[in-house]
Amino acid sequence: MAGPLNGLRVLEVATTVAGAYCGRLLAGMGADVLKVEPPEGDPLRRYGPFPGDVPHPEKSGLFLHLNQAKRGVTLEVGSPSGRDLLGRLLERADALVHDLPPQRAEALGLTPEELRRRHPRLVAAVVTYFGSRGPYARYQGTELVAEALSGYMSITGEPDREPLKPHGFLAEYQAGLQAAVAVMAGLLAREARGAGDVADVSVAEAATFLMGGPPVLAYLFGQVWKRNGTRLIGMGDRHPYPSTLRPCRDGWVHAHSNNRHPDLLAALVGDPWLASPQVLEAMTAHADEIDARLDAWLADKSKWEAVELAQELRLPFTEVLDPLEVLEDRHGHHRTRGTFVEVEHPVAGRVRQLGAPVKLSATPWQVGRAPLLGEHNEQVFCGELGLPREELVRLRQTGIV
Amino acid sequence: MEKPLEGVRVLEFTNAVAGPVAGFVLADLGAEVIKVEPTHRGSPAVVGPLVPGAPDRPYNRVPMFNELNRGKVGLPLDVARPEGRELFLRLTALCDIVLENFSPRALEGLHLEYEDLRQARPDIIVVSMPAFGRTGAYRDRRSYGPGVDAMSGLCHLTGYRDAGRPMKPGNFFCDYNAGLLAAFSAMAALWHRRLTGEGQFLECALLDSELPLVGDALLDAFFNGRPGAPLGNRHPWMAPHGVYPCRGEDAWLAIACPSDAAFQALCQALGRPELARDPRFRILTERYRHQDELDEEIAAWTRERDAYEAMRLLQEAGVPAAPVLDAGQLHRDPQYAARGYFVPVHHPEMGTAPVPGLAFRYQEMAATPARPAPRFGEHIDYVLGDLLGLAREEIEALESSGVVARQPRLPGAPSAV
Repeated sequence: MAGPLNGLRVLEVATTVAGAYCGRLLAGMGADVLKVEPPEGDPLRRYGPFPGDVPHPEKSGLFLHLNQAKRGVTLEVGSPSGRDLLGRLLERADALVHDLPPQRAEALGLTPEELRRRHPRLVAAVVTYFGSRGPYARYQGTELVAEALSGYMSITGEPDREPLKPHGFLAEYQAGLQAAVAVMAGLLAREARGAGDVADVSVAEAATFLMGGPPVLAYLFGQVWKRNGTRLIGMGDRHPYPSTLRPCRDGWVHAHSNNRHPDLLAALVGDPWLASPQVLEAMTAHADEIDARLDAWLADKSKWEAVELAQELRLPFTEVLDPLEVLEDRHGHHRTRGTFVEVEHPVAGRVRQLGAPVKLSATPWQVGRAPLLGEHNEQVFCGELGLPREELVRLRQTGIV
Repeated sequence: MEKPLEGVRVLEFTNAVAGPVAGFVLADLGAEVIKVEPTHRGSPAVVGPLVPGAPDRPYNRVPMFNELNRGKVGLPLDVARPEGRELFLRLTALCDIVLENFSPRALEGLHLEYEDLRQARPDIIVVSMPAFGRTGAYRDRRSYGPGVDAMSGLCHLTGYRDAGRPMKPGNFFCDYNAGLLAAFSAMAALWHRRLTGEGQFLECALLDSELPLVGDALLDAFFNGRPGAPLGNRHPWMAPHGVYPCRGEDAWLAIACPSDAAFQALCQALGRPELARDPRFRILTERYRHQDELDEEIAAWTRERDAYEAMRLLQEAGVPAAPVLDAGQLHRDPQYAARGYFVPVHHPEMGTAPVPGLAFRYQEMAATPARPAPRFGEHIDYVLGDLLGLAREEIEALESSGVVARQPRLPGAPSAV
């Protein structure tokens, strides 16, 4: 069955997680996403992880993950011939996402302003680390640097240690998601307005968005809430507690109060002090003492036991799992739901990949494999753009595709 | 300025954080979002500090509620009462999308599941945001967003390298991510409906929304049987890569060198060109191995400098660097100011505060908060009178029987988290 965006044509020129994740979301919804890679391949083909730690451009885990269900062509967009072909692909596209640095976008005529001017019906998202305008537009960014500027690192980590970067590419993923939101809303508006639009997306702002309230609290109260270990920040003394990670016999659990019935913790731990009026009145103010009593209860229990006992009492506890445990899926939750799907790839073999992040009843999320390098060159350049075969050969010989 | 979702109407029936985020994203984009809220607003002091103001209406001055619900229209409605449920269904008939994020059992009990809503409007799009899904072993498990971070692998993978304990990313990471994904998915379903007339049911589980963000680590587990471990502020191959102390209290500069060229530029900017020739640091593999020593050399330079000044010096040399800003500094940063990231929104009882917006600007359209969060009961006459066409006496009867409320009825549990 086709996805909700069946028939939409999207062009993706991505070199980071942000652009690729935006493309993946649109492809998951059924759009025909054409990924344009440089002839040497997307840098994420070099990223890994690789099976057996043997690098191979068709076996990079991050690339396989982000590019499911897309088609792929190679094109040296910096050359005049490449630019011409990109222009012809753009003429046929409903939407474009790219994450080229501003200087490169300028050289290629792919800035938000140029795209808006030259392709009036195109809906596009241009992702850069700091935004394509403003005093830092030309600054160099990376995931770490964008997360630093965003404020997000100031609320992650221990209070008495250096700010901490969360795992992986959280900011770039969020920028990809924000880009997908921008493209989708732009497409919905296109019919009524009779025009496309171009969104200028900032990776740093995408991480700031994730912070939620602290910037508003800082403005309103002149008090800056910062990283608080594994506890929530910005909550008053009277807020229910716990909301934290605590150790148990064989690992860690996330321990959380039932905010509607904070006294249930006392029942779980069998400790009436936890239900005494002075504690319930100000649980967050008693956080250290609550942790100590909870730790004593957790010490002889496995994370699975502790979570089961807590959940029976309607306390929202969960196990801290590592990726191997997520895959092992002890209780069969993911097996029942089809969270993972086996995807057959001609070079990487059978790969267990993530299925739908959203389940749609009428138009399902699209799974599929990532394209091989240049896999759809002939189909797209000859079949769809009508290039004679000998021209494709010439372009290949000159290193343009 | 035009907004992309003008003319789209959303009925939001949510609690906690993820559902309200999905609603305000659609509201920022121009949809009319009607938030059905309980006829109480909980005990506001519990969720955090209150903005000073009218002593008789503290429930209108909860910053977190007002941040999560900006741009919405509010209707305090007791849907557990038959008349409340009936009004909910009549509102569904006027809406394109219904958003909900209660546990699967809650809507069953209220008889407000997809099939019920579809009778009110056959092409309705219903977006449900349970923590773990409506099927599977964890269906009835309770969790807030941070508990989902634990089960996705994200907490295990986040942490200091030497701490030997998992860490939590930010505050409500999971909720904001899921809220955005739900908003995106609802729009995709709306696209399909415009072409075909067909509505549908969407399940956007918090855990499913988050797993893609650890996709590479899950593949490492699959390919190589590795559980993964936190890298702290380090990178799988870049070096140097971390945060370095600067002048002042809790002041840090992030530096990342993605290439030998960037490292050479860093050494020049530090006034230490000899470091680039040092056999411990000259090539990437050696540099990666000797990061602790290298970090000391860099920190000796940053400690003497203001973080912003250090960023400017390094960026002028072409080295990726930025200060670690905190929630207060963001309001004063020149880039955030130039792009207008924070949008001032005036709330009649809280005053004007800059609200964080979406992470993009269109060339032509607007996508910013248009109005403050609803004060309790503020929109009863608009929703019941103007939209549903109820007469004044009918509205008054609903009020006196407690189906709708102009003032919170019972101080109950906290409503924001």
